Amino acid sequence: MAEWFQDNSGLLGLALLDGLASAGLIFLVAVGLNLVFGVLRIVNVAHGSLYAIGAYAAASVGIFFASLGLPAWASLPALFIAAALVGVVLGPLIERFILRRIYGQEEVLQLLVTFALFMILEDVQKLIWGVQPVQHDVAMRYLGTFDVPFAGDVVPFTAYQLFVLPGVALVVLVGLAWFLRRTLTGRVIVAVTTDREAATAMGIDARRVFLLTFTFGAILAALGGALSSPTGAIVPGIGPQTIVLSFAVVATAGLGQTEGAALTALMIGLGRSIAVYFEPELEVVVPYIIMLAVLLVRPQGLFGTTTTRRI
Amino acid sequence: MSEPLLSARGLRLAFGGVRAADGIDLDVLRGEFLAIIGPNGAGKTTFINMTTGYLRPQAGTITYEGQPITGLQPRAIVRRGVARSFQLPQLFTEHTVEENVALALAARDGVWSPLAPLLRPRWRDEARETLERFGLTALADARADALNEGARKLADIAMAVALKPRLLLMDEPTSGVAASEKMGIVETLVRVLREAKVTAVFVEHDMDVVERFADRVAVWSQGRIAALGPPAEVLADPVVQREVIGIERHA
Repeated sequence: MAEWFQDNSGLLGLALLDGLASAGLIFLVAVGLNLVFGVLRIVNVAHGSLYAIGAYAAASVGIFFASLGLPAWASLPALFIAAALVGVVLGPLIERFILRRIYGQEEVLQLLVTFALFMILEDVQKLIWGVQPVQHDVAMRYLGTFDVPFAGDVVPFTAYQLFVLPGVALVVLVGLAWFLRRTLTGRVIVAVTTDREAATAMGIDARRVFLLTFTFGAILAALGGALSSPTGAIVPGIGPQTIVLSFAVVATAGLGQTEGAALTALMIGLGRSIAVYFEPELEVVVPYIIMLAVLLVRPQGLFGTTTTRRI
Repeated sequence: MSEPLLSARGLRLAFGGVRAADGIDLDVLRGEFLAIIGPNGAGKTTFINMTTGYLRPQAGTITYEGQPITGLQPRAIVRRGVARSFQLPQLFTEHTVEENVALALAARDGVWSPLAPLLRPRWRDEARETLERFGLTALADARADALNEGARKLADIAMAVALKPRLLLMDEPTSGVAASEKMGIVETLVRVLREAKVTAVFVEHDMDVVERFADRVAVWSQGRIAALGPPAEVLADPVVQREVIGIERHA
């Protein structure tokens, strides 16, 4: 065993770093999905499309910035600008004109409507960005690589994936907890999540909370996509791949769990990445094996409870 | 006690074959404490739900201060001065008692107001003052899920009172409360509501509470008002005693 670690320390180090970066992205998307479900009680299948559009938009904004002759560092804020634009434009449109019509309706109808929206947005992406891979990795190249010491070895890894992806995920995790527990708007969101009936009895406008929450969730999904864009080619199909993975995280953690989603994203990210390096044929199934194993033992998820719902 | 604060006329609502409201006519007079009694399923909560916008009557009208409020959203009704409490206290369990009341105050003044950050110290002070009136100061920093049922009921009603309503509808404010605590809770409640000049309608199963604190009592039966008047008169009625109080005492 010790010998195996000695022989594979470089690969294992890479797998762990890769897993950490990928966990950061998965968490951003999953936590948005979780937040939207917690407040609106709608499982939004189209959440993955917002991720994909965020990725495409980030590449487009980055390319646009470059065409203006802006320096390479500008490609970093471009990622956040693109995510904010996608969330702020598409979030309210989707909530106001589609979701508002299906609140409180049967879950099957809600799933079908968000699935239809997802299919439409998949085609919209192809109409705007075509089917050829789109790539804009200036942000990642700009930050260069970093030598990470690991088990007596040195693993070179991109600084972008090492610091930016887990860093943003950590900021979102801590910031979201602070926002929900310490700010008035956060407390109102928690109140509507805990008991919508009681919140409206106090005169709180639940519809405004829904709009705000969905827009925030859309920004998080788009941010996940935008931050993933410098790490590889953006191709049709990244939306479905991400949403399925996010569902696995949310289901494994337990619906409505923010901190739990972070730990589960880490577990699934690392599991998948170790599979990529050591048993590549298992890459796709590892997250679902973890999900299945957890749900068979704890149907409410690792951190979920059967009586309370948290965000 | 003079002209009605709230008037319901011809309210009808059926769920399938069950008539939860079958022609309710009722005036709630300014400043009174009106108790609603009746067996389970008689339509008492349905009346509160229709009055506060949680259910829309299939027929009939409700006017509050002379203005129609039938079918308005709960949020619009509470903004006009009609608050409610639920049978199960609806506290936000992740917050402290003071934060719960402060949230109600924020909801009253407008959580989205640009002035909200400036109002926070005022809400905190007002929340403490409200809790003091209800005798809950010692529990201000306790998490809402750590309270016993009596304190939960009071805190829940404190949130409703913080909204500064002129009419408060309470659904079984003493249910689930230990018998030893019950009278003390109702005394506190009545004192605070009288001081704040709040008219109250409350669903109640305890006839001792009704007899002692209600100005009038309305007897609900199968979606209708079977009797209405002063407690001494209504509760002495042999039909009410046999068909309602008998059921209540055995429930």
